[in-house]
Amino acid sequence: MTVGAITVEAVSKRFRLERNRPSSLKEAILRMGRSRDTDEFWALRDVSLKIRTGSSFGLIGHNGSGKSTLLRLMAGIHRPTLGSVETTGRLSALLELGSGFHPDLTGRENVYLNGAMLGFTRRQMAASMEEIIEFSGIRDFVDEPVKIYSTGMYVRLGFAVAVNINPDILLVDEVVAVGDEEFQRKCVAHMDLLRDNGTTIVMVSHSTDLMAECDKVGWLDHGRLMRVGAPDDVVSEYLANVDSNDKTLQAHHD
Amino acid sequence: MPSVSPSVRKSITLTYHFAERESKARYKRSVLGWFWSFMNPLVTVAVYWFVFGAIYGAEAPKTANGNAESFGLYLFTGLVIWTLFTGLVGGSMVWLSSVSDLRKKIYFPTETALLGGAASNLVQTTLEVVVLLAIMAAFSNIGWTVVFLPVAMVFALGFGLGLGFIASVLNARYRDVSYLVGILLNVAFFAVPIVYTPQLLQDKDLPQTARVLLEWNPVALFIETSRDAVYFLQVPSWNRLLASSVWTVAAFSIGWVFFRRQSMSISEEP
Repeated sequence: MTVGAITVEAVSKRFRLERNRPSSLKEAILRMGRSRDTDEFWALRDVSLKIRTGSSFGLIGHNGSGKSTLLRLMAGIHRPTLGSVETTGRLSALLELGSGFHPDLTGRENVYLNGAMLGFTRRQMAASMEEIIEFSGIRDFVDEPVKIYSTGMYVRLGFAVAVNINPDILLVDEVVAVGDEEFQRKCVAHMDLLRDNGTTIVMVSHSTDLMAECDKVGWLDHGRLMRVGAPDDVVSEYLANVDSNDKTLQAHHD
Repeated sequence: MPSVSPSVRKSITLTYHFAERESKARYKRSVLGWFWSFMNPLVTVAVYWFVFGAIYGAEAPKTANGNAESFGLYLFTGLVIWTLFTGLVGGSMVWLSSVSDLRKKIYFPTETALLGGAASNLVQTTLEVVVLLAIMAAFSNIGWTVVFLPVAMVFALGFGLGLGFIASVLNARYRDVSYLVGILLNVAFFAVPIVYTPQLLQDKDLPQTARVLLEWNPVALFIETSRDAVYFLQVPSWNRLLASSVWTVAAFSIGWVFFRRQSMSISEEP
C-alpha cells in the first residue's frame, strides 16, 4: 500500500450503551451470574472504502450516521469490532475541539505533546514552532494554559499543528467551522495546498460547499455506506433523501 | 536513530515527554522545588523512628561494621523500595486517568503515560538512594554489595508497574478501584518488614499461612534484598533473588499483556 492510502474493509463498530455498564465494583459483583444486558449500538455496519493517496474524500450524512466514528477508526482511536482499517504514513487528525490538548499545559507545551504523539522529537517540533504560532495567530496566548483559551483559539492552534507538520493523511471533523470567516478561508486554502503536495484528506462536514471541493464523497446513513461517488451526485442524492424524509414527517403531522 | 522502528521511536519520545511532564508538574508552583521531594521521605523516616524507635524502643539490628545501628537508617533502606513500589501502583491509576480524555481524541500508545510516570518516580527514588548511600558512607558502612540495591529497585519497578498496569485499567472501568487499592496498600505496608525486623516474626507464634505470607511476599523479598545490599552488606540469598525475579517477571508480563489487550477500549469508557 502506498503511503497516504486508507483501506477500510468490511468494518463494523459496536458500542455498548453506557447505562448498561457497571461503573463500580459493587455493581459489577452484584451483576455477576446474571445474563449480560445486550443493549448495544452498531455505529457502523459493514463499511468498505478505499481512499487513494493524495485524494480528498468527504463524508456526509445526518447526525449520528457514523461519520465521526468512521473518522475515529481511521485515526486509530477505536478498534473496529469487525473488519479492518489500514492507514499508512503519518496521520494527523482534528476530531474535536482541542484534539489532543491537555488543559493544564500551555499552548506551546501542547504543541510539543501533539508532536510527540505524531512521532516528532522535541527538536523537530521546535523547528516548526515559529510557523505554527504564526499560522495560529494566537502568539500572545501561546504560553498560557490552554484551559483559558476560547473555542476559536483551540481550533486555531489545533489546526495550525495538524497542517504544519506535513501529514500524509489529514482527518478533519467539522472543527474548521468554528473559526471565523477569515480563519476558515485560511484553513481551506491550506488544505488545498496540502492536497496539492500529496496529502490525503478526509473530512466530515455538513457544508455542501466543502463537499463540492472533494474528489469523492461518501454518504453514510444509520451506519451504512449508502453511496460513494462524485460530489454532485452523492450530495444531491443525500439531499433528496433528506427532503423525502421531511415530507414523510410532514405527512405524519398533517 | 535509524535502527529503531518509527513506532518505537514515537513511544520513546512520548515516554520521555510524560516523564518530563510528571517531574515538572510535581513541584511546579513551589519555590523550594525538589527540596519537597526529599522532605517527604525524611519526615516519614523521622516519624516512624520516633514512634517505633523512641517510643516503642525498637532496636535496629547490627550493621556490617557495627557502627551504623540506627533504627532510622533501617527504616530508610526499607522505605526507599516501598515508596518506589506504592508510587507505581498508585501513580499508574492517576497517570492513566490523566490521559484518558486525551486518548479519546487522539491515538497514542497509552502505556507511554505509565512508563513516563514510572521513569519520573525512578529518578526520584534514585535521588533518595544517593542520599541513603551518602549517609551510609558517612558511617563508613558501605561495600561492594550496594550493587544489589539497583537490583532490588528493578524488582520493585517491574513488580509495581505490573500491578499498576492492571490496577489502572480496572480503575478506568470501575471508578472505585483506586479506593480499594489504597486500602490494600495500607495493609500491605505492615505485611513487609519496614517498621519491624523479620527476626521478630520468628519469635512469634504465628499461623503457618501468615508466616509464609509475611516472609515470602514479593515486596518483603525486595526489601530484604535492599537491606542486605546497604545495611548488612552481605550477598542476598540466591533463593530469594530467584523468587524475586519470578515474581517480577510474572507480574510485569501479565500486567503488560493485560494492559495491551484492554487499553484500546479506554477510548470507549464514558
